[in-house]
Amino acid sequence: MDMVASLPAMKLDRLYANPFICQAILRSLPPLAKKYVLEMLYIDGPVSAKMLEEWVLADGSSKHRIALDRLIQLRIFTETVDRKKETSYRLNPTFQINLRKHLIDREVLPREPMPSNIVARLPSLEELEAYALGQWECFLLQLINSTQAEKLTNFSSSMMKVFQRGLLSQREKEASRLTESGFQFLLMDTNAQLWYIIREYISNSEERDIDPADLISFLLELSFHITGEAYNMNTLTEIQRHMIKDLADLGLIKLQQGRKESWFIPTKLATNLSVSLTDSSSRKQGFVVVETNFRLYAYSSSKLHCEILRLFSRIEYQLPNLFVGAITKESLYNAFENGITAEQIISFLQQNAHPRVAERIPSVPENVADQIRLWESDLNRVEMTPAHLYDEFPSRDVFEAACDFAREWCGLLWEDSKKMRMVLIYQDLPEDPTGRFHDFKQFVESNFDVFKWIGLLIILAQGSCILLAMVLRALGQNHGSNYDSDDEYPPARLPLINHNLQPPSFVVGDPHFPPKNDAWNVRIHSQP
Amino acid sequence: MVNATKGLFISCDIPMAQFIINLNASLPALQKFIIHVIDSTHLFVQPHVSEMIRSAISDFRDQNSYEKPN
Repeated sequence: MDMVASLPAMKLDRLYANPFICQAILRSLPPLAKKYVLEMLYIDGPVSAKMLEEWVLADGSSKHRIALDRLIQLRIFTETVDRKKETSYRLNPTFQINLRKHLIDREVLPREPMPSNIVARLPSLEELEAYALGQWECFLLQLINSTQAEKLTNFSSSMMKVFQRGLLSQREKEASRLTESGFQFLLMDTNAQLWYIIREYISNSEERDIDPADLISFLLELSFHITGEAYNMNTLTEIQRHMIKDLADLGLIKLQQGRKESWFIPTKLATNLSVSLTDSSSRKQGFVVVETNFRLYAYSSSKLHCEILRLFSRIEYQLPNLFVGAITKESLYNAFENGITAEQIISFLQQNAHPRVAERIPSVPENVADQIRLWESDLNRVEMTPAHLYDEFPSRDVFEAACDFAREWCGLLWEDSKKMRMVLIYQDLPEDPTGRFHDFKQFVESNFDVFKWIGLLIILAQGSCILLAMVLRALGQNHGSNYDSDDEYPPARLPLINHNLQPPSFVVGDPHFPPKNDAWNVRIHSQP
Repeated sequence: MVNATKGLFISCDIPMAQFIINLNASLPALQKFIIHVIDSTHLFVQPHVSEMIRSAISDFRDQNSYEKPN
């Protein structure tokens, strides 16, 4: 449902025009959110946030917040803040109208099951389920590239690569290995795995020019069909026909062909698509018995189960319908190195517990579960953090102040007040709370070329200035030899202002010229 | 003036701390890496030894295991 939430607003409104999608989304909400939607279904005006909070007891406020966030994210609730700064919520009108219609009218699917005289050989429900599981397993085996996959599905290799993207690490010359998320994927339950694959399929659909909203609406519609009933193929649109072939490979649908018509039969996997995640009634039968002597007995003939159990246990015997293994320290260390956690292993064993041990609480013996957790924590006995040690503080006050500051920034690892020493987490530069330094750094990095040239220019300018200064200095020392050398020496440095100047008299009369400076005259007059 | 020393802060349980101290004592004086033993569960060591300590611990762990030959 996160995929639905991530669609843009317009597409979401178009999705809500389909009453089946509204119902599917209603089923997927957390219980408190479902209650809110149903209560607000027939209220037309906005409801203030305070009134909503009054519906909840004091200790439910976190669940209240989660429910409200989910509803706003899916755009089922629209939040308005009016002038008095009070928030109120309203149900999305399209959603509201369609859900009301759905409640009142009968569920009418866009297609009817075909009458049984045309459809001759409908498979029984057990055959259908076996077929669906077989297809799904085959797909999974092919996904993890196991050499044990008997037949290949019709998916093109590019589609398989898309599915394998997060799960397998492809290296050039070695065989591809499962990544950490690949291992975790294998240990998830079928519904979660199915949704993961479908999410990948839908996010890839945009590259193939298929609108994801159409895909999602078709899938959710499919989940309301009746398992085991045949539906005619000619009720499907073009896009849906393309999808049907891929879905048949995944095991969601079985295709059959009669003499004139062809039809598709949805399997249990398809109808479970819209089951709410809190509902566990779709659990398939478990097959694993774990005993207190760390032995594992799996009553299954499926190769996929064998592969999964091999991940964390050592295989002892394998018979056609029985797999016997032992959980040992070495096999668990192998699993932990591959990125599987102890909790995943334990929850896998609990979810797939054989019906004979499933009623016993706990279905996995406590000593086995505890030992698996202990072995996992054995791998992490030592914690290392890069840090600095500060000692020889000048005074206690400085030490206390530094300690408090470090505590504020959550960097204090250890302190010793008696000897006045402390250890802080290693950090390059002190953190810049405004973030401006970071912006500046990014700006410089992005225009690096320009700054490179500016830097070069500045250095060149400085270099040339230095050179010029040196040259001028050298020139200044030679200035004696650059004059036209006559036999006269240049006059000695004379005062710029002649002290013999008479103060000019301010009488209108003949202008008094101050007596001329003789030195200049001497020179001029003595020129031949 | 305050002295700042760069290193690695190790926090573990008591047996592991003793194991690391023993490892330190078995190395020649040039290669000793513990700067300071803070208390029975915390140590301050030089920064470059983290991989060496981890591999020594996993060797110690492997010496303890026995795998039945198939």
